[in-house]
Amino acid sequence: MIRLEGVTKKYLGRPDAALKDINLLVPPGEFVYLTGPSGAGKTTLLRLLFGAELPTSGRVLVGGTDLGRLPPRKLPLLRRRLGVVFQDFRLLPQQSVFENVALSLHVAGVRDAALVRRVLEVLAQVKLLEQSDVPAGTLSGGEQQRVALARALAPSPGLILADEPTGNLDPDNALMIMRMLVGDYVGGATVLVATHDPTLLSLVKGAKVIHLSSGRLEERS
Amino acid sequence: MTSRVQSRGPVMRAFLRIKEDLWLQGVAVSTLTVALAIMGVYLALCFNLYQASSRLLSGPSLTLVLDNRIEPDEAAGLSAQLVRMPQIRGARFVGRDEALERFRGQLGPHANLLDDLRDNPLPNALELVLAPEHEATDELIALLGNQAGVIEVVTSRPWLHRLEAAITSAGDLALALGLLLFLGVILVVSNTVRLSVHVRREQLELMALVGASAGYMRRPFLVEAMLQGVAAALLASLLIWLLFAMLAAPASLPLGLNLEQVVSFPALLPLVLIILAIVAGLLGGFLGVGRTLRQRRLL
Ligand SMILES: Nc1ncnc2c1ncn2[C@@H]1O[C@H](COP(=O)(O)OP(=O)(O)OP(=O)(O)O)[C@@H](O)[C@H]1O
Ligand SMILES: [Mg+2]
Repeated sequence: MIRLEGVTKKYLGRPDAALKDINLLVPPGEFVYLTGPSGAGKTTLLRLLFGAELPTSGRVLVGGTDLGRLPPRKLPLLRRRLGVVFQDFRLLPQQSVFENVALSLHVAGVRDAALVRRVLEVLAQVKLLEQSDVPAGTLSGGEQQRVALARALAPSPGLILADEPTGNLDPDNALMIMRMLVGDYVGGATVLVATHDPTLLSLVKGAKVIHLSSGRLEERS
Repeated sequence: MTSRVQSRGPVMRAFLRIKEDLWLQGVAVSTLTVALAIMGVYLALCFNLYQASSRLLSGPSLTLVLDNRIEPDEAAGLSAQLVRMPQIRGARFVGRDEALERFRGQLGPHANLLDDLRDNPLPNALELVLAPEHEATDELIALLGNQAGVIEVVTSRPWLHRLEAAITSAGDLALALGLLLFLGVILVVSNTVRLSVHVRREQLELMALVGASAGYMRRPFLVEAMLQGVAAALLASLLIWLLFAMLAAPASLPLGLNLEQVVSFPALLPLVLIILAIVAGLLGGFLGVGRTLRQRRLL
């Protein structure tokens, strides 16, 4: 569950706030599109949710945890419960697909057979089992984004945040990624997808759409 | 295939990283080697000078110059009698021939200067070592001077006292300088670690993103710094050993000033350097990683 209460975010040296008095409630398991033009504050909102930024005022709650009060050393525990996917994949290009996915389990202390089993499981899910020993940097864009998605899914997170996950992909690959962000694939997790591509919106039935414009929020359905 | 990734502790992760960028390792190990070599030379010199000075200080504290007419067995009697005194721990008879031989040895390559001597100008002597808690007081010197056959009591007491005081104050200075050097080594380590953090920033960002704790990210850097430290300590030891071997080549200088004593390689030096390098690796590693691993700063 995500809850924002009167959240304002001002960046240092910027006169205008990137987010202005945002109030938002996302129940568990919901699929949410975060839309709005460039500079509207979509990335900022996601960064608040994984603790990369602190709100200037207001409260950000993820799964009941107030991120503004969370001491930095507890932040890793929060991040292990959520998966993040970016437009530019952010893989370790020299390391194998397997190792890239294993990273999110290894940091949480998963080892040996349990680690191997889970990595192979998610790799099968994103249809990359064949490529598990290939250096991630040699894969196509669509494949790389699936590796990133597998890395996010491996710890079975309750929340998935995706910032323009299809921004670097052709329509076919974009469709494939979007399909992997819903339903059984994410195991009932709450999903937030930021995008300024309106054609994506029709892909997920019953999704909630949140529109940001110059840091202000308008909810649609 | 995939099973090779199964359990990677910080040591394994450090090794994998070392393989990744050898040039960085080269930079780290070579700068650290230079720093440790300077530290090592300094430690070796301190150690050797200390040894030499304590050899001086624990040497005979009094010499009795004996009449040349005294027979060796008479001298032995005198020495046995003196050793029974509580102030005196030991006594050794040095005959004039032995004294000349010793002098010849001290002259080293210039010993042939003595070849022209027609007879031995040196006297027989009795070298006394005082018991540790006793001083060569004026009464003792007078008492010894009155013994039959003793011509003169030679004492280096005032001079040794000054030397001892000098060594004590030099010791403090040496310690301070040593700490300063060690601080330098720590700074070298922390800078190379900082460089290595910088090079791996993207990896660290990713780790932070998926929920790695600061310790998880820091540990391989510490292991790496310690491994580099051990390698550099061994290289530095080798360098110092070579340097000392070269310096000590002209076997000896005149008048018993034996350079070999000052530039001898202390056997424990590599071990000491390794321990210092490991400590510096830990401290420098912590300093170098420092605040860059703060979770919010990384992303
Ligand atoms: N680190 C930062 N420092 C200062 N200003 C920032 C920073 N990040 C974002 N901003 C500003 O905050 C506002 C919102 O940016 P944000 O990246 O959240 O927009 P966005 O909706 O994700 O845009 P896009 O669709 O182009 O990705 C913009 O005006 C941007 O310039
Ligand atoms: Mg953005």
